[in-house]
Amino acid sequence: MATVELQGVTKIFDKTVKALDQISFTVQNGKFFVLLGPTGAGKTTTLRAIAGLEKIDHGKILFDEEDVTTAQPAARDTAFVFQQYSLYPHYKVYDNLAFPLRSPLRKVPEQEINSKVTKIAEMLKISSKLNNKATELSGGEMQRVAIGRALVREPNIYLMDEPLSSLDAKLRESLRVELKNIQLNLGATILYVTHDQAEATTMADQIGVLENGKIAQIGSPEEIYNNPNSIYVANRLGSPKINIVKNSVLSSIISTNAYQLGLRPEHIKLGQGDLSASVKTVEALGAETVVELEYNGIEMLCLYQGSFDGQRGDNIKFAIDQSKVLFFNEDGNKIL
Amino acid sequence: MDTSRSPLEPSGFSRKLAATIIIVYMVVTLIPITWIVATSFKSVDSAISYPPEVFFEPSLEGYVNLFTNRSRQPKEYLDSLPPPETWYEELVRSREMVITGPSKFIGRYSNSLIIGFGATFLSVFLGALAAYAFSRFKVPLKDDLMFFILSTRMFPPIAVAVPIFIMYRKLGLGDTHLGMIILYTVVNLSLAVWLLKGFMDEIPKEYEEAAMIDGYSRMQAFFKVVLPQAMTGIAATAIFCMIFSWNEYAFAVLLTQFNAQTAPPFIPTIIGEGGLDWPAIGAGTTLFLIPVMIFTVVLRKHLLRGITFGAVRK
Ligand SMILES: Nc1ncnc2c1ncn2[C@@H]1O[C@H](COP(=O)(O)OP(=O)(O)OP(=O)(O)O)[C@@H](O)[C@H]1O
Ligand SMILES: [Mg+2]
Repeated sequence: MATVELQGVTKIFDKTVKALDQISFTVQNGKFFVLLGPTGAGKTTTLRAIAGLEKIDHGKILFDEEDVTTAQPAARDTAFVFQQYSLYPHYKVYDNLAFPLRSPLRKVPEQEINSKVTKIAEMLKISSKLNNKATELSGGEMQRVAIGRALVREPNIYLMDEPLSSLDAKLRESLRVELKNIQLNLGATILYVTHDQAEATTMADQIGVLENGKIAQIGSPEEIYNNPNSIYVANRLGSPKINIVKNSVLSSIISTNAYQLGLRPEHIKLGQGDLSASVKTVEALGAETVVELEYNGIEMLCLYQGSFDGQRGDNIKFAIDQSKVLFFNEDGNKIL
Repeated sequence: MDTSRSPLEPSGFSRKLAATIIIVYMVVTLIPITWIVATSFKSVDSAISYPPEVFFEPSLEGYVNLFTNRSRQPKEYLDSLPPPETWYEELVRSREMVITGPSKFIGRYSNSLIIGFGATFLSVFLGALAAYAFSRFKVPLKDDLMFFILSTRMFPPIAVAVPIFIMYRKLGLGDTHLGMIILYTVVNLSLAVWLLKGFMDEIPKEYEEAAMIDGYSRMQAFFKVVLPQAMTGIAATAIFCMIFSWNEYAFAVLLTQFNAQTAPPFIPTIIGEGGLDWPAIGAGTTLFLIPVMIFTVVLRKHLLRGITFGAVRK
């Protein structure tokens, strides 16, 4: 495993599409780094550049300080879990898992291959499917085999492109925990792409938020959540989403020259304080309730602990935890 | 029973209609072939009798004549010979002839096999490499090159027979196996490139990319991952190339005589006494049909299996 560093990586497609713009970040050896961003932000392109599948136009890629910018994919020794097209359809599951180990570069003896494949298959609970053709699997099983094909090796870095996206919620959750455990046990370096914030916050040591091919912010999940440096980043984490309101709306309680304010739903306390709003919708999630308020002509989401006994049209008092309010200027960037 | 059919399957009526059309078509195409096979089992006399005999006493005379050279001998000489040792000697003897040696058929037949399979292999192999390059790499003037490759088939190959004849004589390629393999490969290659490029385009590049990341070179990834998935296309292309090289007549007549002559120009020239030996020609044609038939049946499995969708996540 290695420390992987990107320095000012720029990738331009067809001379006009700037998919990556001066991307710089470092994935420390043994860390779980999550790239978070909406569709088209350049997540896949970043992984492909690291794996050597895309030639970059500017910048450098370093593995343990060694420059691999121009190295061939095989020489970089990375493992890639693709967003799609994951398995070789003409091979059995066993041979799919063994494929990387049988590479002429590695020449692993068949006995060792066998023990590794068996171990990984057990870990991913696909032992009973080893003799299936790759086409005779469910989507979730295919995805686990694809992850397994990466895990049989000990590469410089694991590159995973939304590996859990085709699984159902329950399996996704259990595999998420599983993957994090595997990473901790192996001390693996993982660069993981997702646009699912729950995956990002539960697994990441570090999160890099991508916006239109640029890095918007890098930090631990807590930093990104509590201290986003733009509205764009603030919107990426948190469910329900952060409320962004004009400063005039709350001028009675907060005096600021910031153009707009960010209020996390859990920082709006219902049933206390002296502001008053009307309830628009109530959405019970079990342990918590999402309540939509209308205040001063705008809607705000709040997260209420426990079950909420109120309904549409009720008037309710609320308070705002002022120390947690985020301030942004007109361009959506954070101000202090 | 019909109630269990899925809405995607054709109804009983359209199935029956399809079957009827296929059977009619089959009968029409099979009549000449059946006649040839039947002729190969007739005796020389019954093959040319009029009206034609539909029912006849089968004989292996055609096959014996196909494989042997014979000469007619006076009765006294035949009587002086020791009795025939094999069934075919006996058959020839009963026609008042003796076997003077094997015919050229086996040689011509093996020429056909060597040239047919050689040219097919080469066309498919080179075609697959070229198709892969056209499918995956930024080749300068790609579209123009592809059109140029196709344009080589816009006239019948025989139109350039004279320049090829002269060229082959100068190069010493006339009447050689190599010369015929090269010629048939050249003719087939454009078809192979076009057909295979279509199939290669269908294979997502992620497969090779995965293999290259897994520690294989591009060439190794091509053989391990791309070619197996292009099997359908390769099988189809191979069948087309094989049928062309196997059946080609005009160039074979023009360019080969002794050393590399293939079966097509040889079979119709099998002369018996007082004209063409139709049962022998029938026998030669029947045997000639067999390899392409086997080849097609063997590869058919790949054709029918189709492209493997399903191991992909979209
Ligand atoms: N081969 C290509 N040619 C041209 N443009 C491309 C190519 N690959 C990607 N792009 C463009 O680069 C940008 C980033 O694409 P990328 O695939 O990295 O997005 P992504 O963040 O992975 O999105 P998603 O979440 O949908 O997978 C997009 O605007 C895309 O259209
Ligand atoms: Mg992507």
